[in-house]
Order: sequence, then C-alpha cells, then structure tokens
Amino acid sequence: MLDTLKKYISGFVSLTNEEFALMANELVIRNFDKRELLTRAGEVENYLNFVVKGLVRKYFYKGRTEIITQIAKEGEFINSSASFLSGNPSPYLVETLEPSTFLSVTRDQLERLYENNPRIERVGRIVITHLFLQREEWEHECLRLDTRERFLRFVENNPDLMQRVPQKYLASYLNMKPETFSRLKHLIQRPRTAAR
Amino acid sequence: MGKQKSSYKTALEGLHHYLSRYLPISRSEFQHLLPYIEIREYDKKAKVTKEGEVERYFNIIARGLVRKYLPLKEGEQTTQLAVEGHIIHSELSFFYRTPSTSVVETIEPTVFLSISYESLEQLYKQHPKFERIGRLIITDLFVRKDHRFFDQLRKNTRERFLDYIKTHSHMLQRVPQKYIASYLNIKPETFSRLKHLMRPAKKS
Repeated sequence: MLDTLKKYISGFVSLTNEEFALMANELVIRNFDKRELLTRAGEVENYLNFVVKGLVRKYFYKGRTEIITQIAKEGEFINSSASFLSGNPSPYLVETLEPSTFLSVTRDQLERLYENNPRIERVGRIVITHLFLQREEWEHECLRLDTRERFLRFVENNPDLMQRVPQKYLASYLNMKPETFSRLKHLIQRPRTAAR
Repeated sequence: MGKQKSSYKTALEGLHHYLSRYLPISRSEFQHLLPYIEIREYDKKAKVTKEGEVERYFNIIARGLVRKYLPLKEGEQTTQLAVEGHIIHSELSFFYRTPSTSVVETIEPTVFLSISYESLEQLYKQHPKFERIGRLIITDLFVRKDHRFFDQLRKNTRERFLDYIKTHSHMLQRVPQKYIASYLNIKPETFSRLKHLMRPAKKS
C-alpha cells in the first residue's frame, strides 16, 4: 500500500528508507464506502488524503447546482486543500464515488514531520508547488482551449475516468452542459465504429 | 548613484519585512540571502518574460506595476496584475523549465528583487530555513489562487466587479481599464457600464 506513495514521492525527491519510514509512521489508513463524505462544507479540513484505491470528487454548491472542481483516482491527492493549508472553513465537500482507501495525514502530524526533518519539508514544498502549478495549468487550458478541445484533451489523458465517472459529473468538472458532453462523446465514437 | 543606493536599501528592507511575515528572520539570516538576490530595473511597457522563453526568475516587485497575460488567437487574456510587494513571474515555465506560454510585461517603470532558478535551488540546499519560507510562500499563493478560482466559478460578472473595486480601489487609479476588465474576464463595454452605475450616487 505504501509503494504507490513512495513511487509518487520519488518522482520529486529521493528519500532514504529511514526518512520514508519516519513519514509512513505518521500516516493513517482510512477506508470509506462509496458515497461517503470525507469533508463537509463549513468544516475545517483536517486531513490530506492520498488515494490508494477508489475514486473521489470535490465540489461545492452554487445555489442548488453542484459544481465539481476535482476528480481524484489512485495515485493522486485529494482534500479541501485551501482549508487544510489555511485553517479556514471549507466551502467544498469531498465525497467518495467508489469504495475508497486512503493514506491520510493530519495537519498536526504533517507540521511535526516538517519540524523534525527538512527533507520531508522539501517534499511538502514540492508537492504544494505541484498542486499550485496543476491549478495554473487548468486555468490556462480553460482560457486557451474551446469546449471541444478541452473535452478531447481530457478524454486523451483520462480514458479510464470516462468509464468510471458518471457523465454528468464529468460534464460539471469540464464546465459544460451535459448535452454538450453527450454530443462531443458521440463525435469521438463514430470513427471507431466506422472503421470496423 | 547615492540616491539609487538608498532606494535599493529601502527595497531590501522591504524584502526582509515581507519574508518575516511568514517566518521571523534575524538580520544575519537575512544576510545569507543577499548574495542570491538580483535587483532588476525595467522601463514601462517592457517585456520581462517573452512567450517561448524559459522563465529564469522568481520576482518580487519593489516598485512598479506589472501584468501577466496569455496571448490568445483573439487578443490577450490578463491573468495577473501585480504591484509593490507582489510576486510575479511565469510560474509553469519557471518550475517545469519549459517555454513560457505567458508574457510578463511592465505597465509602469519597475524594480524587481529577483532570484534565479539556480540560485533558489542553492539557497534551499544551503539554508533549510529558506526552504521553509519557500513552502509557506507557495502555500499562501496556492490558497489565494484557490480563492480566486472559487470566486470565478461562484460569482457573476457584477459581483466580481463590485468585489474587485472594494478590495482593489488603489488599482483602479493605476491600471488601464482594459487590463482590469480582461483580468476580471468582463467585456470592456460591460466594465464601463458597471463603472457608470456606481458613479451617480457620488455626484448627487
């Protein structure tokens, strides 16, 4: 179970086995059924979660409409990140879509790790930088690409999510109407059947 | 020359103050940082980072006004407006070492306190305390970005406009209207109309 996390981190910094063990020591394993809330709106986020198995979405309510801002699968982090980092109440909800297993760390545990080991602090800095850049990249994509281009790019990068995530959620995440999503989905399927 | 030197001194004192908001730094610790810092000056309307170039610097503005934008097929999309004490550079390019898709350009004559990618890496390696400050700064930037992202999704044009002028009245005096409109993702015509709506109360 720890291997996935180790692999993820070694993409940024090579930790020694002792350093990794020090970190693993502070982690808790958390299991959730599908459709369970990890974080409610108005709560302060207490955990950072690494998805070992499962599928999770983050969203907020605009009036009665749910707006999805993240969908996370195995090997990715999810939580109400700004709340976790700032200590302010979360405007977001975090909910599992499939039964899920997480390696989680609390704010206090994480602070203690940083305090005791500069190399782990480095991991922290780099992971946060990475989250920041992912958000920046997403914003750029929204500004530079039109609906069709964004759809195609998403499908190319996340073929598995097309199977696992309800279509209306994907449409919300991509900030398009469900009808538009259906229409675009049709467009990509046609050439394949024609070839047969 | 003498005058310039004293203004650099003020700028560096400003930097010490700025970093101490994240973590108290003693005078001698701050001295460790100085060899890594470059002072860079630009005229107004100067391109600091061009499209296609790899961003070399992380910049804090000591004096001036700067914008960042994405050149698009149909015009420019302003993504950041920054004044004294703000950080501005092409982040994706700086951290991933890839050609920049953004342009960083001054609006007013500007003085930057800058640190290059290589210097920053060295600084972190040699002085872990600055790695902690780096973590706290990027955390702060992320939280602000998330807040802005959330506002863009949640608020309508009118709300975004009203919020901005409430919190950034100083910018309205300094920044050309078309850039603010672009930053708020509002058409210039809409921006003018909204601005008009606010005025009559004052006149009567």
